[in-house]
Amino acid sequence: MFFLMGLERRVTLHPSYFGKNMHELVTGKLLKDVEGTCTGNYYVIQVMDTFEISEGRILPGSGLAEFTVAYRAVVWRPFKGETIDAIVVSVNQHGFFAEAGPLRVFVSTHLIPQDVNYDPNATPPQFTNNEDTTIEINTQVRVKIIGTRAEVGDILAIGSIKEDYLGTLQS
Amino acid sequence: MSDFGDDGDVGGEEPMYEDEEPFDEELDPEVPQGEDGDVNRRGEEEEENVVISGDPSAAANRTKSTTKTEKDMKIPNEDRATTPYMTKYERARILGTRALQISMNAPVLVDIEGESDPLQIAIKELRAKKIPLIVRRYLPDGYYEDWSVEELLQ
Repeated sequence: MFFLMGLERRVTLHPSYFGKNMHELVTGKLLKDVEGTCTGNYYVIQVMDTFEISEGRILPGSGLAEFTVAYRAVVWRPFKGETIDAIVVSVNQHGFFAEAGPLRVFVSTHLIPQDVNYDPNATPPQFTNNEDTTIEINTQVRVKIIGTRAEVGDILAIGSIKEDYLGTLQS
Repeated sequence: MSDFGDDGDVGGEEPMYEDEEPFDEELDPEVPQGEDGDVNRRGEEEEENVVISGDPSAAANRTKSTTKTEKDMKIPNEDRATTPYMTKYERARILGTRALQISMNAPVLVDIEGESDPLQIAIKELRAKKIPLIVRRYLPDGYYEDWSVEELLQ
């Protein structure tokens, strides 16, 4: 689910950037540091605006200026039970991996309907029930998140397509 | 329930609109108008999808309040009571910090006149009262006074 979140971050600025447009530089550095990162619980999609940049504080010993920036960001937190659309990136006999934006979702064979089976002889390998469902690389699928695990700088999710209205999307 | 009806209508019209758009572009070059309509329509749709939960501005105030306690400890400039003279320790730290910054390519605020030693440039800046630093003097009770280098006597 997407949220608009108020966050705070300390941004340091090198002395060679001191001058008139320091606030723009601080904002630029904030965007570079924060956008697209993952804190373990959520992805920071985009910074909306910075509504407060504090006075600079010189760090003792290093001469760098430190600004405390309060900003609003659009964040995305994948929840257990949330349904998302994703694109399949790899298929193997244990299941398949799909990507929904930055999030990697693994769908195990246990969570794929019984009649959809792995076919290693097809090129590329695919899951198919020889009817309307064929899952291969680049197929769009709708999956339900069964669980998530936070890793360093990333989230890994386990998904399921073993329910009504889940599985391949008709394009 | 009327909300559902509205949704259905929007959804129903959507593909038709997209079908029509290419024709518009071919027939008359009024592309901006078409884009405007597109943006407006998308805006409406997005508004329907937004759920306001919590209060973003309240959350902002909450984070602000932590820094505010720090700000509350400041003694206003007119009530400051410590010496207006720069102590030798402050002088040393100011010159050291400023020389370090100058050595790291910070913009110099005086005419360097061929001087290349960062410490000498810092001394020159101090003499010209051009050092852009503020001394924060903490008192034993946690309150502090801010003195700009410019106003400190030497």
